[in-house]
Order: sequence, then structure tokens, then C-alpha cells
Amino acid sequence: MSAPAPALAKPQRPKVIVRLADAAVAVASLSLIFGLLLVFFPVEFPRIIVTRQRGYLAVVLMVLTLVLDAFLYLRASYLRSAKPTVLVAACLGSLPIIVVGGLSFLMESAVAQTISLDLPNLQARINEEVLAHTYLGLVSAVFLPFLVIRLLQQFKATS
Amino acid sequence: MSLKWPLWIGLYVVLGVLVPWATALSWAHQHGSEMRPRVRQLFQRGELGLVGLVVVISVIWNLLQSQFMQQTIALAVVLLAVIGTMAGDVWIESYCRQSTGTAWSSERTWRDSRNLAFLVFTMASVVEVLLDRFAKVAAL
Repeated sequence: MSAPAPALAKPQRPKVIVRLADAAVAVASLSLIFGLLLVFFPVEFPRIIVTRQRGYLAVVLMVLTLVLDAFLYLRASYLRSAKPTVLVAACLGSLPIIVVGGLSFLMESAVAQTISLDLPNLQARINEEVLAHTYLGLVSAVFLPFLVIRLLQQFKATS
Repeated sequence: MSLKWPLWIGLYVVLGVLVPWATALSWAHQHGSEMRPRVRQLFQRGELGLVGLVVVISVIWNLLQSQFMQQTIALAVVLLAVIGTMAGDVWIESYCRQSTGTAWSSERTWRDSRNLAFLVFTMASVVEVLLDRFAKVAAL
């Protein structure tokens, strides 16, 4: 069988090179929204988070970060006319879940330690710990997958 | 909500960005130069990343002095340190590329440093708000 004529061969699209600057703007915007909600709704916004802490807060965070990561990756591939890769898609699909899951345990541990110390104004302290962990979890779950992929791509390019 | 944290972040914007820019304009005026550098030209080699790194160091110091639980402090410190290092790395990469004659784009360096500095500033602001809230709760 002869090789296809060059004119008929499908042009190969380059693979998406993830850049931290792409994720940085999205995470910064999330931070800005979180910060503004904290400043303008100092009681109501934390209450919404704290009341859902025992319920589905982790699930909401997982879904939100997964959707955002997928959107950022697809947007980067569209803007650079590049081909999304299965490995990166798998990383982006699993890392936000792993990060949010792992940080949920860390939050439970921080709350348990706060309770064990028997400090004054205990419930308010716990609420602030939950609020801080929610914010840090949100930022980590969006930014860290991109950081890991970026470092892996750099390592692959040099090796 | 106190005005402590906006003043704190404003100090960095003024001393880290506006003062260097004003100094460059003043230098040009003093030496009778036609140069009128814009903020973007002044920070085109990724120096905004260095400003971000300085902001991160300050927030980490404040976190270490807070009464948050160790787990919370550790998570925030590691995350801020990673993001601050990445912001500073934009300047390092720009320097290395220019020093070795590797392909370098001022447009790309400016965009990367601006985006990462924006991330550092917003994160630093939110962490300062959280620290402010916690200090009030702990003082009750």
C-alpha cells in the first residue's frame, strides 16, 4: 500500500502546552469573588459555607473545580489550536477530586484539634477554620493540577 | 470589617509598583530625557513576579503569627510559597533566556508576571481578610 499523498495527509495539531498564567487569572478571579463576598456579606456568606460543611460542601467544591479546570484546559487548546491529550485530561479529571478529598481530611483534623483545645468562643473559631479551609481548598484544587501538568510537561520536554 | 488589610495591600501597590514608575519618570525629567516609560515597559522582564514574591513573604509571616490551627497555617503557607515561587520564577526564566540568547518574548513575560502577580495580590488580600476575621474572633 502506498503512502498517502502529502496534500491529502491530515495536518497534525500540536499538543496543548499548559501555562500557569492561564490558570492564574481564573484563580485570581475566584479569589476576588470570594474576598468581595466576605467583605460585603461578612455574616451571610460564611454561614452558607459553614452550614453546608457537614453535608455536600466537598462535593460542590469537587464539581466546581472539575468544571473550571476542564473549561480552562479546553479554552487553552482552542486558543492555541492545539489537540487536548488523554493523559492531561485524566490528570485534570482526577487531581481536583484528590486535592479536595485530601484537604477535607485536613479540615476535619483542624476542627477536631480546635475542639480538643477547649478554647473560648469555640464555635466561631471552628467556623473561621472551615472558612479558611474552604477558600484554600478551592484555590488548591484549581491551581495545583495545572502546576503538576506544567511541571510534567517541562520534565518531558527536557528528558 | 477594618481597613487594615486594604491599607496593607495598598502599601505594596504604591511602594512596589507606583513608586518605581514615578522614580523612572522623575529620572527622565531630571536628565532631560524624552523617555516616558509605562508601567508595562518598566516591568517587562517579569519584575512584577518579584513584587509578588515579597508580598507572599509578608503574608506568610503574618500567618505564622496567627492563632489558626497548625494544619490551616501549613496549608496556606505551602500554597502561598508555591504561587510566590512561580511568580518569581517568571523573572528568573526571563533573565536566563536573555542571558543565554534563548528565544524570549517581552509580551509573554509581561503577561505571565502580570497574571501571577494578580493572583498573588488577590490571594494575599483574601488571606489578610481571613486573618483579620480570626484575630477578632480570638480576641473575644
